[in-house]
Amino acid sequence: MTISPQAFTFVRELVRAESAIVLETGKEYLVESRLVPLARAGGHADVDAYVADLSKRRTPAAMKQVVEALTTNETSWFRDSDPFTALRQTVFPALAKTRSNRTLRIWAGACSSGQEPYSIIMTALDTPELAGWKIELVATDLSEEMLDRSRKGEYSQLEVNRGLPATTLVRHFERAGLNWRINQSIRERVEFRQLNLTRPFPPMGRFDIVFLRNVLIYFDLPTKRDVLKRVRQVMTSDAHLFLGAAEMTMGVDDAWERVPAGRSSVYRIREEQGTCVH
Amino acid sequence: MRALIVDDSRAMRRIVGRILEGAGFEVLEAGDGQEALDVLEGLDSPPELSCVDWNMPVMDGFTFITEVRKRPEWRSITLMMVTTESEMDQIVRALAAGAHEYLIKPFTGEAMLEKLDLLGLLPTTTGV
Amino acid sequence: MTISAAPDQALVLAAIEQVWGSMLFASAEPWPSDLPAVFETGVQAQIELRGDWNGRLVLTCDSVVATQIAGAMLGLDPGEDLPEPDVHDAVGEVLNVVGGSVKGALTGNSALGLPGVTGTTEVPGRDDSFVVSWGEAPVYVQIVPDAA
Repeated sequence: MTISPQAFTFVRELVRAESAIVLETGKEYLVESRLVPLARAGGHADVDAYVADLSKRRTPAAMKQVVEALTTNETSWFRDSDPFTALRQTVFPALAKTRSNRTLRIWAGACSSGQEPYSIIMTALDTPELAGWKIELVATDLSEEMLDRSRKGEYSQLEVNRGLPATTLVRHFERAGLNWRINQSIRERVEFRQLNLTRPFPPMGRFDIVFLRNVLIYFDLPTKRDVLKRVRQVMTSDAHLFLGAAEMTMGVDDAWERVPAGRSSVYRIREEQGTCVH
Repeated sequence: MRALIVDDSRAMRRIVGRILEGAGFEVLEAGDGQEALDVLEGLDSPPELSCVDWNMPVMDGFTFITEVRKRPEWRSITLMMVTTESEMDQIVRALAAGAHEYLIKPFTGEAMLEKLDLLGLLPTTTGV
Repeated sequence: MTISAAPDQALVLAAIEQVWGSMLFASAEPWPSDLPAVFETGVQAQIELRGDWNGRLVLTCDSVVATQIAGAMLGLDPGEDLPEPDVHDAVGEVLNVVGGSVKGALTGNSALGLPGVTGTTEVPGRDDSFVVSWGEAPVYVQIVPDAA
């Protein structure tokens, strides 16, 4: 079952109008999978029938539900797993050899409800090469609401089911009624700050690792280019950038090169770029 | 790949079965731990995966995984508890008894696929 | 939410909301107190908790609602037929998951029984139960501690 072009176009235009987020062709599966629960809850045979009904009635509440279903950044722990394996097996050990001050600075650039920065900390704790190191993790998001949720570190049963190994759950979490809370010792290692990626960045120093996953997809090409350029300026010359699996710098900002890291890839600043310092 | 679903609820077996079939598994079913042991005895080679409920009549899931782990010829089976039991103590007990993963009900299809991914049981990594 | 040894309405309602949302793709709202909530032939599911708190959770609803809950859980098309034992099995599993969530949120250790489901013609009293909505229909929930 796939969504019809008409239904996809309607949803794309609705989301673009309400959120400035662009769902490009190829994102049909995303629209389909996010709208199936809404379609079923409304008693419709499929997503097409649901969208047809929606486009006829245009109930504001229902339109808002659709926009939220498509823009809510539902995140898993160790999302996509490969980047975290690469972090532990390749990136952390490589950086551990070159940082005599035994400090790593990391930026998680669209931290949403906090699963990503906390996953990075838990991965660092599992990396023998970083035993006794200082990890400075700055996690930012556009939404103050998301930042508050992240700081609290409390997750529902459904959220801790998403990609979190059971051994990690029992090691780093505690029960909080129906929910689970990540341990204080992990929470206090992350500094959460509000930041809009499309505006000039506040002074943050330079980072050895930047996570900017599944956020560029929401921007148009000139914005992507601008964000990547400014990200370069806050990275050390040998830093590593992690993007989402479906994202790449090629054709957007050619100052980057893609380097394999385990089953995943990271982006490094090309050497001929003379603009960066250690 | 084959998976044995052990759950006393037919509805739950159907839901889990559909997710696993979507991930390329051939699905076998049992309604309690004893029936599941009987299914395993009757197979020429063990399945790659077993998803096991905790509370069941006749033999519960904890006893089932303990029994499976006593048998060297079944060592290759990946065991995942899929249960509404969610106290920290129980998760620790199940892992110590030989479960590889633990999925707490209620769960979504995506959550189960992510657990299979952690266990290296998906042909390719998924993710939206 | 306070964390306690005995289940209260807020906890059970939160557990139901979570299960409705994730397994049934539906939302559970408290039923308006001034609205009648009656039905004729119903299904009643029960599950026991044993430990620091002893008692049972009971869920009662119209048999049409029970069939809809089972259909939503299994992803059936509206109107698709489901034999009664399958309806009972599905409703029992829904309550099992609610019961497990409630048990996990309580302090101390306790054990969960197996769900039991029967037909019933008796609508529970509004005084000893709370009512949540399944679409336009009521679902009664009772938290019944063992008699002292």
